[in-house]
Amino acid sequence: MEIEVQNLRKRFGEVEALRGISFGVFPGEVFAFLGPNGAGKTTTIKILTGLIREFQGEILYRGEPFSPRILSFKRVIGVVPQHNNVDRDLTVEENLKVHCYLHGLWGKKQRERIREVLELTGLQGHLRRKADHLSGGMKRRLIIGRALLHEPQILFLDEPTVGLDPAVRRSMWDLIRGINVLKGCTVFLTTHYIEEADMLAQRVVILDAGRVVAQGRPQELKEALGRYTLEIYHRDRIEEEFFQSREEALERMRSLDVPAKVREVNLEDVFLSLTGRRIRV
Amino acid sequence: MKGVWAVFYRELMFYRRRGVRTVLSSVIYPALFLLAFGYGIGKGARVSGMSYITFLIPGLITMSSMNQAYGISVEVNVSRYYFKIFEEYLLAPIGRWEIMAGEVLYGMGKGLLPVLFLLGYSAFAGIGLRITPLFLLCLFLHLLAFALLGFIIAMAVESHADQAALSSFVMVPMIFLSDTFYPIDKMPLLARYLGYFSPLTYSTKLIRGTLLPGSHLFSFKYLLFMVGIILALLAVAVVLVERAEA
Repeated sequence: MEIEVQNLRKRFGEVEALRGISFGVFPGEVFAFLGPNGAGKTTTIKILTGLIREFQGEILYRGEPFSPRILSFKRVIGVVPQHNNVDRDLTVEENLKVHCYLHGLWGKKQRERIREVLELTGLQGHLRRKADHLSGGMKRRLIIGRALLHEPQILFLDEPTVGLDPAVRRSMWDLIRGINVLKGCTVFLTTHYIEEADMLAQRVVILDAGRVVAQGRPQELKEALGRYTLEIYHRDRIEEEFFQSREEALERMRSLDVPAKVREVNLEDVFLSLTGRRIRV
Repeated sequence: MKGVWAVFYRELMFYRRRGVRTVLSSVIYPALFLLAFGYGIGKGARVSGMSYITFLIPGLITMSSMNQAYGISVEVNVSRYYFKIFEEYLLAPIGRWEIMAGEVLYGMGKGLLPVLFLLGYSAFAGIGLRITPLFLLCLFLHLLAFALLGFIIAMAVESHADQAALSSFVMVPMIFLSDTFYPIDKMPLLARYLGYFSPLTYSTKLIRGTLLPGSHLFSFKYLLFMVGIILALLAVAVVLVERAEA
């Protein structure tokens, strides 16, 4: 296991952000934390990356007990935070250089690493541009590139595509897949976008109000419900029924006297069936 | 030490980007005080057996360099809570003390600018000041103390509004009750006692004492006092940066 988490708890005053969650991340996989805002996704990432130092529970990195005070684990992780925390007054090059210096990359090695991440993120030709003048998508690419400079083995991405338009989001997915496949980097991402978890993750943990409500391969989680969802549009609510075959769903739809639609089961259906709520409410 | 350089480099690039604006802002403040207090009020006046301008220049040096060194509190606070750049430092494989050292070094560097301006002005105006190793040591301690104080405030205060209030209630009174514009001994009793609690009082006495030929203001007692203050500030800064979370 790359990361093993047992009974992780975190409280902020009266609010219990994490209520004893347990999960594991395998080496080389894309692992997703899916859940609505306030589910505890960012808190988990902050604990796993040492940004939050006080917590309860056990965390193992490659079998070794984790402590946020141990510096060596910070050399193997890269972190892309939810917010665009590029230094807006600095150029792309200066932003990357600060990160290189923080990780002890100097001289030729530094130049090589900067060139490589610029190629990977498609930011060649923008080296001397002020970070503030980059588009939202380019800023996200710069942050991802920055997190890869020291060649981490585990990359944490906290809501990597939040606020991006669909086309840019898709290009980000390609980039994340590339990092996972070409660099062999384990990817741990949090998202509240169903399709993002579905498209990228080999395994998913569904989180709600600080609790793990389900975990497994997206396909397995969906198949536990069925293959097709029939959405029935009542006046005051949308009801969902699940079927193993499209024919069964269509037959049921024809028997209804209210509008309805058949589609494939997605992870939101899993969330809805487990919590009674939609992720994006 | 890589963390110290990384943080210092970031601040240096940030400072460079702001260029003329930041240099001017660090110089205009002492220049205005020099004009208002030195020439507006104090022309021809004598204090503690010397011309008021001669008395004032060391005070302006400590006040304006303190403002600049302490000013990192705003920059660190903004980078921590608004731009979230501080998070990058917390995620890096560096000791937390390195973050503190990089920021404090930057604050001390910033504090040197008005010193250079005022020393240059003094040379130009024919005010005889002595630049001795002892003066440089006192200036170093003064800048270190207030850069540390700025860093502590940035770590302890969670909003810009609180920071502004703190400046109004602590820093501004400190400027006026610490031997900078007039000798503290001439003040009413309460103000005098308040002044004795201010580290600026001691660093001003030390810097004035070492800069002015024939001055008897310098005392090793004050020097030790400043060292004590710095050690206490250092301890607080280390604790706060160790506790910092994103």
